Amino acid sequence: MATTTPDRIYSDAPRVDFAHCREMQPYLTEPKAMYVGAPGKHGYLRLGFELDKEGKSILRDLDRRAPLIVQQELYFDEELPGLPCVYILSSGGPNVDGDRYHQDITVKKGAMAWVSTGAATKLAKMKYNYSGMIQNIVLEADAYLEFMPEPIIPHAGTRFICDTRMIVDPTATVFYSEIYMGGRKYYNGGELFKFDILSVCTHGERPDGEQLFREKFIISPDKFPIRDIGVMGDFDIFANVLVMTPPDKAEEIYNATQPVFDRKNRIAAGITHLPNGAGLLYKVLGDETGPVKAQVRKFCSTVRQAIKGKPVPAEFPWR
Amino acid sequence: MASPLINLMRLIQFTDSTFPVGTFSFSNGLESAAYENLVTDAKSLEQYTRAASLQAAYSDGIAALNAYKAVNAGDYDTVTLTDRRLMLFKMNDEARLMLRRMGKKLAELAVRFYPDNEICRRFLKDIETDATPGSFPVAQGVIFAVAGLSPEELFSSHQYGVINMILAAALRCVRVSHLDTQEILLRLTDEAEKLYPEVSEMEFEDMNAFVPEMDIMASLHEKGKMRMFMN
Repeated sequence: MATTTPDRIYSDAPRVDFAHCREMQPYLTEPKAMYVGAPGKHGYLRLGFELDKEGKSILRDLDRRAPLIVQQELYFDEELPGLPCVYILSSGGPNVDGDRYHQDITVKKGAMAWVSTGAATKLAKMKYNYSGMIQNIVLEADAYLEFMPEPIIPHAGTRFICDTRMIVDPTATVFYSEIYMGGRKYYNGGELFKFDILSVCTHGERPDGEQLFREKFIISPDKFPIRDIGVMGDFDIFANVLVMTPPDKAEEIYNATQPVFDRKNRIAAGITHLPNGAGLLYKVLGDETGPVKAQVRKFCSTVRQAIKGKPVPAEFPWR
Repeated sequence: MASPLINLMRLIQFTDSTFPVGTFSFSNGLESAAYENLVTDAKSLEQYTRAASLQAAYSDGIAALNAYKAVNAGDYDTVTLTDRRLMLFKMNDEARLMLRRMGKKLAELAVRFYPDNEICRRFLKDIETDATPGSFPVAQGVIFAVAGLSPEELFSSHQYGVINMILAAALRCVRVSHLDTQEILLRLTDEAEKLYPEVSEMEFEDMNAFVPEMDIMASLHEKGKMRMFMN
């Protein structure tokens, strides 16, 4: 149920507010158009996967608020026919000024799931405020999740902040990937790294509250030189993949993954261990979305092979 | 309070590249960057070093200053909390190894210099018993506070150390001269000075780093066979 004040109606989705973050201080003005928290611009999604009586993984729990849409799980993965696959869609088009999103994904004991988005997430130009997202990803014992959304495309002048908390049992595995384009590469003669800010924090912990790692990157191209060697260099797209998995599996995946710096094919990738035996961190740089997505998918296949004994099938030609 | 002259002497000593904490063993992935022809000359070296300096300011620099403030406030628990939190943030095996080895050496020196200081002794003991990771920036915060140096001096020493570590490594694996590296050092230390007002206000939640190309170089080094440097 939506809550009401004399002149405004608010979404009942959990509050998403990053006003406490130092880097967002310049972007806290209320948008002149629709206000922050209004129904339709404060999306909510709750996905709960679990095993049914026959031991099949299903999407048992689903709750959502516009503009986020999930319809039902599909079983289209030819290598893992029992894998429930879900596309997150947004009816609102790009993220606009003052948008808020909250996504909770739980995979219960022994279950598995695959979650992606239907298309790239576009972040539109913003003038007053920012677009913010909170995600909570919970994996119980022996659970398995592949979270592999389509790329995020930040338009000129956009501001986006995301906080992802992953609470993962020591026996479970989560593959969590994000792909950030530098911008609309071919729009209006090229619009790369013209956004105001991307602030992305991903942190992992155990169910008992033990903190394992915290990664935070803030990209503000006006403040620091993004094209310097060591930062993006001359690459245009960046992918970040966090894999929380038991140490023996992490070792298997680490040993099967080679870092690469291929100037000819314009792709670079590196792997390292997360702190506190939490798993692995994999980073990819490239020029075009296709090769970067393929690299991320190939790495996901290595992870799936180690955990489920199966590869990831070939990507659909229309993706 | 020590005299300004003594403070300067201490600052020079703690920052000197011969200060025995092992800075010479590490290159922050520069060895791979040189091998991959990513860093080939003074211009590319300056960019790479700037990237390292910025990421260090917004992570290790914040930790060093927070540890320093905690020592001065007599709050030892915050020293070890800062230490643990910094390690949560270190996303690279070799970086964690580097920070812990150098941190332990600095903590040992701190006990030799200030044998009666309870915080120095407790910090080293906690490192030896694995009660705290003992990262280098936190050890720097401890020794600078105990020596009565200022936070500005701590930050200067920290940034200078990061920049100089890479430039010193560059002399051994990149085609640059001592004159090139000194010019770069001059410019990058000027830039570092401008970071201090913001970094000195920051806390754990503000720590951030974005150097994906450097991370990939570190990974190539971690999995590679080249071993002139440990990192």
